[in-house]
Amino acid sequence: MRILKHPVLNFNRGKEIEFVFNGQKMIGYEGETIAAALHASSIKILGYSPYKHRPRGFYCAIGNCAACNMIVNGEPNVRTCVTELKEGDVVETQVGKGEII
Amino acid sequence: MIMKANIVIVGGGVSGCAIAYNLAKKGVKDIIVLDKSYLTSGATGRCGAGVRQQWGTEMNCRIAKASIEFFEGANEELQYDGDIEFKQEGYLLVASTEKENKQFEKNVELQNKVGIDSRKITLEEAKEIVPYLNTEKLIGAAFCPTDGHLNPFLLTDAYFKAAKRLGVKFYMNQEVTDIEVIDGKVNKVITNDFEIETDVVVNAAGGYSKDVGEMVGVDIPVFSENHEILVTEPIEKTQGPMVMSFSLNIYCQQTPHGSFIMGRGDKEKTPGYNIESTWKFLDRMADTVVGLLPPIGNLRVVRQWGGLYNITPDKQPIYGKCEVEGFYLAVGFSGHGFMFAPMTGLLIAEQILGEENTIDISKLSIDRFKKGELYLEPSVV
Repeated sequence: MRILKHPVLNFNRGKEIEFVFNGQKMIGYEGETIAAALHASSIKILGYSPYKHRPRGFYCAIGNCAACNMIVNGEPNVRTCVTELKEGDVVETQVGKGEII
Repeated sequence: MIMKANIVIVGGGVSGCAIAYNLAKKGVKDIIVLDKSYLTSGATGRCGAGVRQQWGTEMNCRIAKASIEFFEGANEELQYDGDIEFKQEGYLLVASTEKENKQFEKNVELQNKVGIDSRKITLEEAKEIVPYLNTEKLIGAAFCPTDGHLNPFLLTDAYFKAAKRLGVKFYMNQEVTDIEVIDGKVNKVITNDFEIETDVVVNAAGGYSKDVGEMVGVDIPVFSENHEILVTEPIEKTQGPMVMSFSLNIYCQQTPHGSFIMGRGDKEKTPGYNIESTWKFLDRMADTVVGLLPPIGNLRVVRQWGGLYNITPDKQPIYGKCEVEGFYLAVGFSGHGFMFAPMTGLLIAEQILGEENTIDISKLSIDRFKKGELYLEPSVV
């Protein structure tokens, strides 16, 4: 869901771009973050907690809490709430702490 | 308030707690442990959490080996309700100079002599152990599979709880302000809140051991120096052993939690009690680790901190009695007090009770500096 009209704020939405989330084609807008694009597309589960594997969603939205860490273009632990969406991004749900080798 | 105790231990780090536990286990009553802040607030809680046996002096080798053997059964021995997170995946030491490589050969020979299972290995073998190790600047390596990692907070907690069960009393936020000596004998410990009459005081004050020594008029030949460390975000298991180099000035290990802990020394640091974190350390550390272990560069640093090495002229600890009767030293660990703690606890307890020492530590008494009988430990970061 997106707010299209707001009484105070103006949204200068960028152009529509395509990206892939867990193998599924998605639409987002230039200038928004990966987490924002996912959230707007009703993807609420961004990751899982490390020990009890409980679902984790959009939380701090400023890159501090690690709840939105995902694998982006093969790189683990990307803070999707502060990472801008790019055309053709491949975004995957991260299970576990991520692998660097 | 005036209290009485048989033994007062100054310092609630792992050494102090281990000494208290060993004394209580041997049946001593009325033991008090004091710390000016909280348990593990000093060097114990700030250390790199590595435990190794690959040392260059016989005393350090023997103490380290016996300590590792203790860690293997520590959960049971201390009846700990948790897990001290002991992980034995080795220390991989890498040499970047001929001199260091030769030193490894000598060290391994010495280590094998006292029964430590270390060995000199080729760079190819080193790469089998850590496949992403950049061997470009390296000449040789040494490996000991039974070295490893251990959680300093949990080990201290295990000693603390075991000692407490045996009746040891712990008073935190009690800074020792003075120690009264009468006729060359320890008489009373004075803290900010109370006075404790006692015949025996153990100086296990880590970075502040020199100050505690001055209270009884003993000049301990140690100084304190800030050594910095950083920790990264956690990642799935990537590296088994600690990777360490004295010439490159680095140690770096992955904890069971998944984070990497790494540190290095700084020759430009001046002695003192400053434990600030510096950008310079962060900068040099990042440079060094990425050069030696390139993939680690992909990790984010989450925190950095400093802690005090309490350094002796020969980089070996000072154990036991001194000229003031009833004043015992467990100081000057030079950056490896945590990994020696089980033996520190046992050996100091034996000394206080006049028992024969499990390992002969007469070479580590404070008298060695007057006699000039020093055996320099060459393998310290």
